[in-house]
Amino acid sequence: MRPSPISRPSFSGTARFFAVLALVGLGLSACATKPPASDPDALADYQQTNDPLEPTNRVFYAINNGLDTVILRPAALAYRFAVPAPVRDGIHNVLSNLGTPVELGNDVLEGKPRRAGDTTMRFLINTTAGVGGIFDVAKKLGYPDHDADFGMTLALWGVPEGPFLYLPVLGPSDPRDATGFGVDILMDPFTWMGPPSSTGLTVFKWTRYGLNAVDSRERVLDALDSIKKTALDPYATFRSLYRQHRHAQIEELRNDHRATVPDWFPQPAAASAK
Amino acid sequence: MTYRRHFLTFAAASALFPLSVRGQGTDKAAAFVKSTGDRLVAIVNGPGSAVSKRAAMTQVLDADVDVDGIGKFCLGRFWRQATPQQQQQYLALFHEVLVTNITSKLGEYQGVTFTMGRTKPQDEEAAVSTTVVRPNNPPTAVDWIIANPSTDPKIIDVVAEGTSLRLTQRQDYASYLTHNHDSVDALIAAMKNQVSRSG
Repeated sequence: MRPSPISRPSFSGTARFFAVLALVGLGLSACATKPPASDPDALADYQQTNDPLEPTNRVFYAINNGLDTVILRPAALAYRFAVPAPVRDGIHNVLSNLGTPVELGNDVLEGKPRRAGDTTMRFLINTTAGVGGIFDVAKKLGYPDHDADFGMTLALWGVPEGPFLYLPVLGPSDPRDATGFGVDILMDPFTWMGPPSSTGLTVFKWTRYGLNAVDSRERVLDALDSIKKTALDPYATFRSLYRQHRHAQIEELRNDHRATVPDWFPQPAAASAK
Repeated sequence: MTYRRHFLTFAAASALFPLSVRGQGTDKAAAFVKSTGDRLVAIVNGPGSAVSKRAAMTQVLDADVDVDGIGKFCLGRFWRQATPQQQQQYLALFHEVLVTNITSKLGEYQGVTFTMGRTKPQDEEAAVSTTVVRPNNPPTAVDWIIANPSTDPKIIDVVAEGTSLRLTQRQDYASYLTHNHDSVDALIAAMKNQVSRSG
């Protein structure tokens, strides 16, 4: 799961959210001014930045930043202060183990059998030997974790990322990743589990969302603090970092050409000639 | 199967030759990153006041990092628009900002360690992978991009988890300039402010 200082609200919450977003978006649909064709350098910069909704995005950035300052960052600081590092690692591992179905689904949709194998082995080993996912035993046995979400799957399928979006609460995104976020929620069995009135399940779901948000935020505490301190334009810096990070994840996925031939089987000629 | 054997010999020979040439560059690049990294870690974790650490850090940066090259890259298209005087002022400030940004993180990096990873040639450059581990933070994959690896190695970029430091900085400056009437003087003023605030 990609680290982002963002929570995952329940599906109904998300739907409501996008409705609000659409309404607010209509009211604020200001556009960045495109430089004239007489200034080709400025125009090239504008096209490379690909952020036509920048004024609107900046409004949401300011709102999120405010919410983060008063809610999420203090929560993450308290979490770091109160919970010792090994326990935080355990919680992180359990959360990431619970994300197995979505990760596996995307590995398969991406047509990456070795990644799907890694995900499956990680789930089997960590759920049993790793005591319900607390300890990442599988990593030591040669099954490292990787990122997989439907935004990456769409990228591999050739869907372009589109213009930059800064979404309320969810943070930096683009149409492709926003779609991926919604599909990942639909893919998650926990979204569909049990009667909606079940109190235990509701508590479990919200605890998971809450912990996910605090865990992700805690992991980037130092990084975000230093960016806000050193950047002249933090919004532009986050935009750049988000895109670069996504491109790197997608490149890594694209370049994962590990063969599915077992070790004891004669290896293909191309691999042995190397 | 003679054809095949010949082909394999040829393939092996042609594969080996550039490898030995390239190998030199990448080996040197890896050794260079190891020595620079060791010195940086020694400064961060070592004793000494903030002032002496800042001086030591400046020394390493001047010797091993192509700060002027990175500075020019970060100003992008505005470099050509700037007057020689602005360029000079900007580069001097860029050095200061870089040192200030790094030294302001010294406390945060206390106890830092790193392990070397693979090195791969990248055009005229070499990319050396490392994993940086610091207390309280998940391990970070950091690639060091080295120019002229076999002759005069210099760090020209640091890529953390797929994000390039100089590209991010360039886009930060570009956005600042766009919102300040493309005025290089405004950028210089902002950088001055940054240095005086944390200095």
